[in-house]
Amino acid sequence: MKDSKVSCQKPINQNQIIFQRKDPMSLMQKLEILSDSAKYDVACTSSGVDRKGDKTGIGNTVSGGICHSFSADGRCISLLKVLFTNECIYDCKYCINRKSNDVKRTSFTPQEICDLTIEFYRRNYIEGLFLSSGILGNPNYTSELIYKALYKLRKEYHFQGYIHVKAIPGTDPVLVQKLGLLADRMSVNLELPTAEGLKQLAPNKHRKSILTPMRQIQNGIVSNKNELTLYKNTPPFVPAGQSTQVIVGATPESDYEIVTVAENLYKKFDLKRVFYSAFVKVNEDKSLPALPGGPPLLREHRLYQADWLLRFYGFQAKELLSEERPNFNILLDPKCDWALRHLELFPVEINKADYQMLLRIPGIGVKSAGRILRARKNTNLTFEHLKKLGIVLKRALYFITCNGKMMYNTKIDEDYITRNLLSVKEKLPMDTGGITYKQLSLFDDKSFMESQPQIEALKPYQMKELQEEIIRVS
Amino acid sequence: MGTVFVCEDSLEGVFTGIYKAYQRKENHEECKVQAGQVNNYELFAQYVEIPSEDELAGKVSRTICRDLGMEAYRAICQALATEADDKADAVYHTVVEGLKQHRKSSNGFGQAAGSIMGNLTNPYIRRVFELSRSTEFEIMRIKQFIRFQELENGILYGKVGPKCNILSFIAPHFADRLPLENFVIHDDKRQIFVVHPAGQEWFMTTGEHFNEEITGHFSQDERQYEELFTGFCHTIAIKERKNLALQRQMLPIRFREYMVEF
Repeated sequence: MKDSKVSCQKPINQNQIIFQRKDPMSLMQKLEILSDSAKYDVACTSSGVDRKGDKTGIGNTVSGGICHSFSADGRCISLLKVLFTNECIYDCKYCINRKSNDVKRTSFTPQEICDLTIEFYRRNYIEGLFLSSGILGNPNYTSELIYKALYKLRKEYHFQGYIHVKAIPGTDPVLVQKLGLLADRMSVNLELPTAEGLKQLAPNKHRKSILTPMRQIQNGIVSNKNELTLYKNTPPFVPAGQSTQVIVGATPESDYEIVTVAENLYKKFDLKRVFYSAFVKVNEDKSLPALPGGPPLLREHRLYQADWLLRFYGFQAKELLSEERPNFNILLDPKCDWALRHLELFPVEINKADYQMLLRIPGIGVKSAGRILRARKNTNLTFEHLKKLGIVLKRALYFITCNGKMMYNTKIDEDYITRNLLSVKEKLPMDTGGITYKQLSLFDDKSFMESQPQIEALKPYQMKELQEEIIRVS
Repeated sequence: MGTVFVCEDSLEGVFTGIYKAYQRKENHEECKVQAGQVNNYELFAQYVEIPSEDELAGKVSRTICRDLGMEAYRAICQALATEADDKADAVYHTVVEGLKQHRKSSNGFGQAAGSIMGNLTNPYIRRVFELSRSTEFEIMRIKQFIRFQELENGILYGKVGPKCNILSFIAPHFADRLPLENFVIHDDKRQIFVVHPAGQEWFMTTGEHFNEEITGHFSQDERQYEELFTGFCHTIAIKERKNLALQRQMLPIRFREYMVEF
């Protein structure tokens, strides 16, 4: 607005002219273009750090994060998710902003970013800023511009809300360090699960240049924690941790490979989150798969379910899948699937089992397992109690006993239980029923029928094998 | 038969009721505490009207904090913010259960009373838990979905219509978040206001002299930012993933009348 015009007339240095050549474009148009190109980034969480306001500026953060609105696709709007610029020197095949695409290009100025963030934040529209970017000139130059915007926001406007910033691969480590001191969360997108896929679809990016800043941020967080124990006033470095994102369904990796990659990222890089993004085809390109059934949403959903199992339920990737069974069962959620293959561990006595075992029972989640632990201190739990505690009995009843008795006279038999579990319909988020990604739920026939073509197109095995598998299972 | 203590529908009212119920030294199983109006009179019960007394309420609230712990206190306060008819009775019996457990544990038996809210097999405690959880959700939702509009005089004005009386729970959040702003939060259903003058402590007030007209005059920039945000909400959606049912589940229709982007 006013300020941006002023800075537009007085370029500070030669470089700045480059990113202002498209001016004057109205703020509305810029926001439209730059949020439109940012929307394929999945991460919009504002969680991971609890910080009170310091009474000199504006903002605080809540560790659980706050979603301020929901867009028509049911995804949350928590942060002002925009690109700094959609100019780019790279030509990644899956990306709408690749160099070879003829799209309108524009950039924000640091002042515009600040105005939008502060004014949206005051009105409680957003929880903070998510700033990603295409690459203008070179990675360092782009990062410097991003740094300028964040610096202004943090130091001039005293903004203490949430900031998530992308580290651009190839940026000088000093700049990454400086950005980390201003941001709450940083992320470097892995883009594709394997180095091979990356080579295929993103010829200008290299696995190594992605993992280098990731490692740097990880080390930064660790050494910052050590410093914080010594000196209380050390500025925090990426206090909400780092995350990454992989595109699912653009390259032929199996679920097993993706889950293993995610597990390694959690273990070796201490990542807070790995996000999975069902591939949306925005470019026509011969090296991209055809997706007649739309984005592979069911597959994405199963990956998130597995991700939760890895992070909160104490599962390991190799327990869920293996080389021989590289993909998730489309009919059953990963936990049910695992339980059916390990019937020797069931039934579990609710009044005696430890927390880890409770978590492995289908129909019991982190919250209900906690409730069971607390409630059974006072009484012996019965099935009636379990129902009231919020346990999904229609799924759990085949796997548990209360005081030595099962709920009904059921068999511990794989075929029998599978048949029964399948007869209860699972609600899926991409269904009209709509349920959050966090819930494990049973399968719905309708969505199975709808999602068949896409699975056929995506997964290495064919329908016939699939049908055989279904016959075998039930 | 039993006694029903009818008290004012407020934290002080219910706490006073609980104090009086204890004072009577009757069997707790036969007593009830009712907040607000009695909708359905019992045939043989004796009804006692209890006027609120701050001093007694203070004693009860201190006892709950001390013997039942802060988790229980918070749950009780949140449960009492709902409009459920049986809330006061559930709270009363939760306190009875908690104090019983406290007595036991100070004699060296059983669990400490701090964990009382975990005892979800007790129907009263479970009810308090359910009510407090529903308040918790409402608090969360209002924190998410309240929209401030900048008035001509620079004051941020946010109107909400929550299911239960939760202004006092959300005020600290916004006071911490926007310390240098003048803002007003207006509970449209109860005509209660939270007022936060810039740089000062917030306070609550009722809307007897509220001039509705002022809230119709917005500042110059207000329109522009509303449009910018509405546009942002549209472009950020991925059309290949359109899922209105999921949107409706996450953001129920009843909040939308107060939101600028709808």
